[in-house]
Amino acid sequence: MSVSQPAYIHFGEYTQHVPEGIPQAVRQATQRFATNRAAVIADFPQWEQLRELGSAIRLHTIENLDHYLERLELAVQNQGGHVYWASTADEAREAVLKIAKSHRVALAVKAKSMATEEIGLNEALESENIRVVETDLGEYIIQLAGSGPSHIIVPAVHMRKEEIAALFSQKLGIEVPADPNKLTQVARQVLRERFLSATMGISGANFLVAETGTLVMVTNEGNGRMCTTLPDVHVAVVGIDKVVPDWKALSVLLKLLTRSATGQKLSTYIQFISGPRREEGEFGPKEFHLILLDNGRSKILKDPIGRQVLKCIRCGACANTCPVYQNVGGFAYGWFISGPIGAIFTPQILGPKVARELPFASTLCGACADVCPVKIPIPTILRHLRQRVVEGNGGIPSSIPGYLRLMAAFASGVLSNPWLYRFGSRFLGVFNRFEDRGWLTRMPFPFNRWTQVRPLPRFSNDFRAWWSRRELKSKGNDQ
Amino acid sequence: MSRTKVLQAIRDALNHTRGEATGYPTISPFRTQGSLDAEAQLFFNELNRLSANGFEVTLGDIKPHLEALVHGERIFKATIWETPLLQRLQIASHLRALGVDVEPPSASKYDIAQCDLGITEVDFMLPETGTLGLYSRKDKPRVVSLLPRVHLAIATPAALRPDLYQVLEEAKAHHYLVLITGPSRTADIELTVTLGVHGPQRLIVWLLRED
Amino acid sequence: MYPSHVQLFITCLGDQFFSTTLKNMVKVLERVGVQPLFPAGQTCCGQPLYNNGFNEQTRPIARHFLEVFGQHKAPIVAPSASCVAMVRHHYPELFPEGTYEHALAMEVAHRTFEFTEFLVRVLQVADVGASYPHRVTYHASCHGLREMGLKAEAKVLLSHVRGLELVPLNEEEVCCGFGGAFSVTYPMVSQAMMENKVRNIIASGADTVVITEPGCLMNIAGGLRKAGSKVRAIHIIDILASTEGAL
Repeated sequence: MSVSQPAYIHFGEYTQHVPEGIPQAVRQATQRFATNRAAVIADFPQWEQLRELGSAIRLHTIENLDHYLERLELAVQNQGGHVYWASTADEAREAVLKIAKSHRVALAVKAKSMATEEIGLNEALESENIRVVETDLGEYIIQLAGSGPSHIIVPAVHMRKEEIAALFSQKLGIEVPADPNKLTQVARQVLRERFLSATMGISGANFLVAETGTLVMVTNEGNGRMCTTLPDVHVAVVGIDKVVPDWKALSVLLKLLTRSATGQKLSTYIQFISGPRREEGEFGPKEFHLILLDNGRSKILKDPIGRQVLKCIRCGACANTCPVYQNVGGFAYGWFISGPIGAIFTPQILGPKVARELPFASTLCGACADVCPVKIPIPTILRHLRQRVVEGNGGIPSSIPGYLRLMAAFASGVLSNPWLYRFGSRFLGVFNRFEDRGWLTRMPFPFNRWTQVRPLPRFSNDFRAWWSRRELKSKGNDQ
Repeated sequence: MSRTKVLQAIRDALNHTRGEATGYPTISPFRTQGSLDAEAQLFFNELNRLSANGFEVTLGDIKPHLEALVHGERIFKATIWETPLLQRLQIASHLRALGVDVEPPSASKYDIAQCDLGITEVDFMLPETGTLGLYSRKDKPRVVSLLPRVHLAIATPAALRPDLYQVLEEAKAHHYLVLITGPSRTADIELTVTLGVHGPQRLIVWLLRED
Repeated sequence: MYPSHVQLFITCLGDQFFSTTLKNMVKVLERVGVQPLFPAGQTCCGQPLYNNGFNEQTRPIARHFLEVFGQHKAPIVAPSASCVAMVRHHYPELFPEGTYEHALAMEVAHRTFEFTEFLVRVLQVADVGASYPHRVTYHASCHGLREMGLKAEAKVLLSHVRGLELVPLNEEEVCCGFGGAFSVTYPMVSQAMMENKVRNIIASGADTVVITEPGCLMNIAGGLRKAGSKVRAIHIIDILASTEGAL
């Protein structure tokens, strides 16, 4: 599933009815990756130093993004590749379609790429009768199932092996026992045939190196290599925020990325691709096409706080550590990117009309910022985006309903006025009439939203009176 | 034109808010080289953790190890890089003598996909992570380490590098590099790790000591 | 430098729900030789509005706080790290640099402390003569841990409490699901996180869970009550004031 642009993201509504089994499956994945990450980092004493370097490299790059993109373009062209600039998702889809059509592509194989999901590429190609096969095992499974990803790294983790066996039986006509190894072998055979016959391979990239026009792909299965080695044409769709200045930067970022994502020191396969093949015998594509995707990223650059989201290297550590994400899974975030990074990326790209609930999808606990390998201050950005939702931003007005604004104004008035505040406190004490052994289990709005989950302690607000009596007594003693 | 549009949008966004631009930090290697024996041992330990195999071999070991491999892994068809070292070791003729059908690397992708075993050399070895680095050339095609079920990599100590930093410094002058760290794997199905998804299921590394 | 007086910043939640804890805070301060003052005009730090993006509506509250606590030069002490973080880190952000309010915010920020921080780092006192013979487990509140870097202070104080046995809490540093308005904005998620925390607390084998943050305390205490658990959730100040079982 790739939804090009949701109309509105109902985070709250979704979380009221999280499908059973999702939190359990997601939590298994997140705990596995978080544990592995912790173990591999404990083995790396210079980890904090590495994070600092990673943060500086990424920040420097986005602050000079125009410069590095120009260098990148020149370098890719020098390597014999073609560069296209896509201001919008539409333009990116058009560029890929044009290349596919000019090569009369009937079947394309695709490595995992969030950018292609962002622009809804699969649908665009399918509508022009160009078959696209997802080749990452998890993505292949959810493509067959017509479902969306529940986790960034293991998108099909919410599906049991029995479901997957049934899916293969139904969609592929292949009977296979519900055993992960056997299921994997089936996928290997089926997809191998696609790899060998496809005329175009589509990928994303983890990094684009400006120094030499090099595309870097970090994978584990080998499908990334297949897609970019066997077909004659390689098309890469990559967000402009993926550029890095030079190879030195990679020596830092690659160490940060794989450890943070899955707890691997390095992933199984890391490719460094600089243009098409140079000789026929070496295999590899004859043509290399790079589509640079903006789709709102340049707009984000205007905001010095918000633009730090562009430092992201897509490791998923924030999601793996977030207790909110663990309890709701990826679908709740409404778009291709989920977890804490989704909560700060999506609103900045899609705007508050669509994504105003996402900045509030957090307790601001800060666990994500602790694990982010490039030190993105996620809670700070969340708060900042909340302010923009409430107070508006530039030409965009406030996105919250009028009654909330009224309540806030009321609260502000009471809380900045000691007499109103103390009067209000006395009023609250009245509710103790309904207490049940020290607890209030039923309260009117707005307190009912608390008590529907757990009881409120009884109001115990006699400190001020106690203090006054104490002061009076001591003054009395003094006299 | 979109190029202008995107670059202009970026410049407009940044020009008023570049602020005190963050400087580019100094980056150096994180690790230094140990003794050959220590590095080799570290490399093999890492390889084991990745469910791959590795050991040192001498010239005399090659033939018996190949035989054990062919029988142990049921190799009927193989393909091999035609580099000077591998030719000097006469790997192809040893394989034929064992009854293995040897496809030249210039064969079609379909024929190479039928091979059970792919044999390559190694351009880099990183002990810290058990990683191999392979370039791509007419006589060193990419598919040999990708399509067959078993990948045998024959390395020499000259390939050892202390840190990823050095590998990248050298590799940037080349148009392709793949870093291989263990066999192909996934945990996509119920988090159960399975090997040999699309790439090789078995990875074996021989470190040739001719000293 | 051992201050002779401190100003009590009782926090709005403390004011409404935890008068016993506040009285205990007075008790402990006097025990360690510090005189508490109580500026009665105080209300709230404004955190609930600020954390939800209502910066405009937060400013009058912040101004009022600065006015109330700015009068006296004594340090300000609160039983809540989140409120202290609000004053210390965010008040200066609310007012433009160069204004009187900004300067005042900076000045006040520098002398506002969370209670355990004040005892351990400012007074350099670890033993407050407390006694609480129970098996206790500790929940690490997010703001204290991450925004204020308070990791060891509470545990140092607990280690000197006579008779207290500290047992580990699984997922000690995972958020309890309070998150201020989050608990009423996304109640189902808040509930799932709270239930997870309660399960871990019950599994720890402790009869008491000690908490340094009023918001977490309300959430967890309510959760334990709902689960029918006998585990007692109390504020660390109540333990520090306790002389239970003392000879």
